[in-house]
Amino acid sequence: MEMHQIRYFLAVTRTLNFTRAADECNVTQPSLTRAIKQLEAELGGDLFRRERPAAQLTELGQRMHPLLKQCFEAAVGARSLASSFKGGKVGTLRIAIADAVDLALLIPHLEQLKRLFNALEFKLLRGNSKQIGEYLKKGEAELGIAVEMDRDWDRLDSWPLFTEGFQLIVSDRHPLANRDSVEFDDLRTQQLLSRGYCEYAERLSARLRASDIDIDRSHDVSCEHDLIKLLEADIGIAIVPCSASMPDRLRRADIEGLDIRRTVQLFGVAGRERTAVASAIMKMLRSADWLAFTDPAGAPVREARPVLSIVAA
Amino acid sequence: MAETTFAELLEETTENSRMMDAPLGERLKAVADEVSRLSPEFAGVVARMVARLEASGVGQSAPQVGERMPDFVLPDEGGALVRLENLLERGPVVVSFHRGHWCPYCRLNADGLARIAPDLKRLGAQIVAISPETHRYAAELKSYANAPFPVLADVDGGYALELNLLFWVGDEKREAMQAGGFDIAPYQGNETWMLPIPATFIVGRDGLVKARYIDPDYRRRADLEVIVAAVGRLHAEAANMAQSAGLSGAGSSSAMARQAAPSRSSY
Repeated sequence: MEMHQIRYFLAVTRTLNFTRAADECNVTQPSLTRAIKQLEAELGGDLFRRERPAAQLTELGQRMHPLLKQCFEAAVGARSLASSFKGGKVGTLRIAIADAVDLALLIPHLEQLKRLFNALEFKLLRGNSKQIGEYLKKGEAELGIAVEMDRDWDRLDSWPLFTEGFQLIVSDRHPLANRDSVEFDDLRTQQLLSRGYCEYAERLSARLRASDIDIDRSHDVSCEHDLIKLLEADIGIAIVPCSASMPDRLRRADIEGLDIRRTVQLFGVAGRERTAVASAIMKMLRSADWLAFTDPAGAPVREARPVLSIVAA
Repeated sequence: MAETTFAELLEETTENSRMMDAPLGERLKAVADEVSRLSPEFAGVVARMVARLEASGVGQSAPQVGERMPDFVLPDEGGALVRLENLLERGPVVVSFHRGHWCPYCRLNADGLARIAPDLKRLGAQIVAISPETHRYAAELKSYANAPFPVLADVDGGYALELNLLFWVGDEKREAMQAGGFDIAPYQGNETWMLPIPATFIVGRDGLVKARYIDPDYRRRADLEVIVAAVGRLHAEAANMAQSAGLSGAGSSSAMARQAAPSRSSY
């Protein structure tokens, strides 16, 4: 496939009109048609039904549209990143991160960008998922990192980054401090510090209640910073995602039977032109290996190994 | 008896080929022959896809010898950003596109590149491999080949498409691959089923393509000896230029600069 073929394809998809698409792309209609025919030959089928008044995507065209768009945007991003490095301007990274997601996830990637481009500027926004959604809608942030987001806006693109479980965190002075794993029963008499800013707080509470753990004697906490202070003072215990970084003085333990998992996702706005730096960080986040931040069991690996019957050994 | 996937069967074949005392072309052919022997159906699907790609001339408009190689900024398997222009400050770069760690031919190709890496290093050149896989799988290809070079992650094939090297696997081949245990979607972090043609470029310090190997038949790869020879010529030219104190000589055309389906007997 060639870049220009996909560009023409996307233009026809937008306009549903070969003449208008050719105008939009600044080429003659015969060259546009020829390029689309070449693309069709390579993909092995027609992409459009050439009907009047409007061209229509065939079934193959509809299937290929999101795939071609994704690769095309990646290529445009790759090109603009390289050229902005050359021009010395990568733009400002405007990224919104949900309160329940640790900034540590982003640090190695920011370091990498900074190493290659020391004029990098960024604007870091925080909020709950609803606010992250608003930042994206209003264009205050180009990218968002959050767990769940209302899907009331169809222009949100999302890419799952990793899936992880939750762990118990206690002070090193706590009786459970030296345990690798605990059972629900061990939590019965504990005071829970509830992370009100975590979308999963309610689900975790429900799970504890279901195991007959009285969580009414819990403290509500509104930010991770306060949570850590309270944990360090041994005022309560907390259940946090595996990727949350905690000071060395706090101890982690698995909770047997706690099967609640969350998926941290990257969000972007479809159809909005991205700055080079946003394309770069997107590429880095999507290709990253998150194992270091999560437990191996939480790694998003799909172990599909179907059997080929014709070569059954 | 437990059933074995096609992918698993081929792992042993690949390992045997790796141990062969033969040029890369023969090692690759041994795998292709074994594929045909184990599953004529799968080999038929491969042949049809390759024929479709050859007919459409995929990859032909990739940067030609003498043209500028587009710059890239891509993360390596450890997440470190690598930029072509920065590499070129140190010397010529061999840019090698791979399909993924799951591909027997790519494994043998990466293994072969690792074997010539010391020669290329002596000649002042570096190697980068580029694949559409995420870091974990890029790292697997690197460790399989014991490669001293980075395996860069080109997620969604953006750079490959910029070079007009990207193609769609297609339904028939995708179904055959999935049935054979090659489900590449999780490795690539997308559902596009797009792959790059495993092309190889030798980029001079001036950023121009000095030699290229492009073949829509992914079972064939650039000859290792030809890569070393081409880099050797660049090295010799650079040395001559240094000797003649700034008097420049025109770059020689390379035996690697050809389009597709080359005969394997010319070296």
